[in-house]
Amino acid sequence: MSVALKSWSVNEGPKHLIMVVWVAVNVFLFWRSFMLYFSGSQYYYLHQMLGLGLCISRASASVLNLNCSLVLLPMCRLLLSFLRGSQRVTSRRVRRLLDKSKTFHVACGVTICVFSVVHVCAHLVNMVSFSVRYSEDFPALNVAQYRGQDPRVLIISTVPGVTGVLLVLVLFLMFTASSYSIRVSNYEIFWYTHNLFIVFYIILMVHVVGGALKYQSNVEAHPPGCMHSNLSSGSRTNHRAAGEKGEELLGGPQMVCQEEARFQPHFPQTWLWVSAPLCLYCAERLYRFIRSSAAPVTIVSVVSHPCDVIELRMLKRGFKPRPGQYILLNCPSVSSFENHPFTLTTCPTGTNETFGIHLRVLGDWTSSFSLLLLQQSNSSEILPMMQQRRYPTVHVDGPFGSPSEEVFNYEVSVCVAGGIGVTPFACVLQALFDDWRQYKLRRMYFIWVCRDLQSFYWFADLLCALHERLWRDNRPDYLNVQLYLSNTQGLQSIGEERYRFLSSRLRIGRPKWSLLFQEIGRANQIKRVGVFCCGPKGISKALHTLCNSNTHSGTAFEYNKESFS
Amino acid sequence: MGKIEWAMWANEQALAAGLIYATGGIVGVAGQFRGWQFAAFGIAAGVFVCLLEYPRSKRAKGTSVERTGQYCFTACVKAFGPLTRNYYIRAFLHAALCVPGGFMLATVLGSVCLAIASLIYLSAAIHGEHWEPILPRTEPPKRVGESIKEPPQNPPPRPPPELRRKKVDNLETAAYDNPMSVTSNE
Repeated sequence: MSVALKSWSVNEGPKHLIMVVWVAVNVFLFWRSFMLYFSGSQYYYLHQMLGLGLCISRASASVLNLNCSLVLLPMCRLLLSFLRGSQRVTSRRVRRLLDKSKTFHVACGVTICVFSVVHVCAHLVNMVSFSVRYSEDFPALNVAQYRGQDPRVLIISTVPGVTGVLLVLVLFLMFTASSYSIRVSNYEIFWYTHNLFIVFYIILMVHVVGGALKYQSNVEAHPPGCMHSNLSSGSRTNHRAAGEKGEELLGGPQMVCQEEARFQPHFPQTWLWVSAPLCLYCAERLYRFIRSSAAPVTIVSVVSHPCDVIELRMLKRGFKPRPGQYILLNCPSVSSFENHPFTLTTCPTGTNETFGIHLRVLGDWTSSFSLLLLQQSNSSEILPMMQQRRYPTVHVDGPFGSPSEEVFNYEVSVCVAGGIGVTPFACVLQALFDDWRQYKLRRMYFIWVCRDLQSFYWFADLLCALHERLWRDNRPDYLNVQLYLSNTQGLQSIGEERYRFLSSRLRIGRPKWSLLFQEIGRANQIKRVGVFCCGPKGISKALHTLCNSNTHSGTAFEYNKESFS
Repeated sequence: MGKIEWAMWANEQALAAGLIYATGGIVGVAGQFRGWQFAAFGIAAGVFVCLLEYPRSKRAKGTSVERTGQYCFTACVKAFGPLTRNYYIRAFLHAALCVPGGFMLATVLGSVCLAIASLIYLSAAIHGEHWEPILPRTEPPKRVGESIKEPPQNPPPRPPPELRRKKVDNLETAAYDNPMSVTSNE
């Protein structure tokens, strides 16, 4: 039981800690703003006029400030890749938190939507209060021009009103296009509407300039609730609202106002919150755009593999990715604005400067791209550079980090791949083939589940070559390969002689994860094992549960998941 | 850019717009704003739009992701037949429902959002899309090992009994000698 608690706290602890801290900061900001407007003396008259709507709207605005600034930070991919790569600066626990950056972005986004609803509702009530409780005593405080003015006119005629409506519409468009089903089916709608964020932020900066809510700037000279000596009539006009239950001094001495109350609009605090992350994100996008269009990418070879997979080898000067990273590919001949992520399957080494990806032809972009590539090359030979066939131009953005980079930082790693999800691990295997001695990794369990037997041929050569190399270097237990064919009908054996290593490790049927974990736990007692999964949701969920609940042999399993959309 | 299914996006928008409409209506009625009758209509219209839009349509190409618990709503919406299948009707219905919301402060935003959703539905209808219910799969999945429930009807073909009798002096065939006779005529 104690090991399960240790596993759980290693796997889930830091994530939940960050969540608790974030919620606490939000609650603190909400409470602080609320109390400021509820009982602050410089807002006394405004609070009298507007009531609770003022406090709720301002408190939700401060939560929105925080979340609008935080929501951009997880999307600064280059910055995160840099943090991931600087292994001396950050510890592994922090790097594992970087895997969850997209979840954090979604959490901040949902918070923005929820609190926008609260903010809008509170301001609707404020509009009505401005209109109904028009104040003759303090005309500077009013937003309405006369008592009983239609609140809808107030919305249209003030800057915060108009910009507020526009902000809600932009947020509506962005939020409705971000659901999981739309991202899976029509990614373009999500991408183009989400890029409206810049419009959102610009309108947000204008929204806070309006100056509708004012604070009293001379509280010392004119304490709120003081008596105003009215010279003409001789009677004292008391600034306290009629019917207010004064906890103030009923019998005590009333203060005399030395001067009229003066009101001033706020400095727009949102600018301080939002400008730094916005500038950082825009600078990063600009840098990525310049870097990807400046250095040209030449396609060296195109190889067609079974099961609709195409291997593409490219060359780009000054491109230094690490194993496990991914790139964004853009092909202007297919579509000018779409960027598609592909994990690198081969990194440049000293001997071979090319890098490669394996792309599976599944959607419309990949189909058009593969047609453009394959019509140029009917065979799979590699031509020398002089006689380049005319391939389409591509732009490569990246490289960006992913959880699979951590495989080398554990002593024992378990890599589970489903179908085309094998690509990050293929790059890892390639790096091990080049030089396995330089890494901390001592043992790797490689489990590959496929639906179709032909898929194993994508990397059959690499696996056999690595196995042979490790045997020659006298490390036969370094690599443990298990191949599973989940489709029980059809062809079920790898016949070729040179792939005998693979055919003897091929099993028919789905793997039993609990047995596998028991076996790995017994063979690696009192060690920390890194589990890496890149595959369908069913597999990753099963593995996640097992990592958290394992109670055998003192082994702690740390779960790392690669996420695709 | 491939073929975009506008109806999916319009569906998400209409669902969110219905919620905004209903929320604005609740604020209007609770605060007793001027024209709160429009707000009450807004609540009813918002709830109706949410119920109509909750079941997702089946995609023309690819796997459809259902919303949790949408089957009972699918059955209700399917019962109206061509009224709910056609997106032109939905577009005009949303456009009609959003008009009263514009007369009241709290429901203005909801009606604008519903108007946008109605425009996207119009675009979907022009592209020729229609609503298809997602029904649960009726055929049972193939059971593994079903073939072993049907044993072969005929015995395998065997040579005549003279050849079947074992010759003990021959060393090779003696290896296949059965310890007890398995045929009746030996």
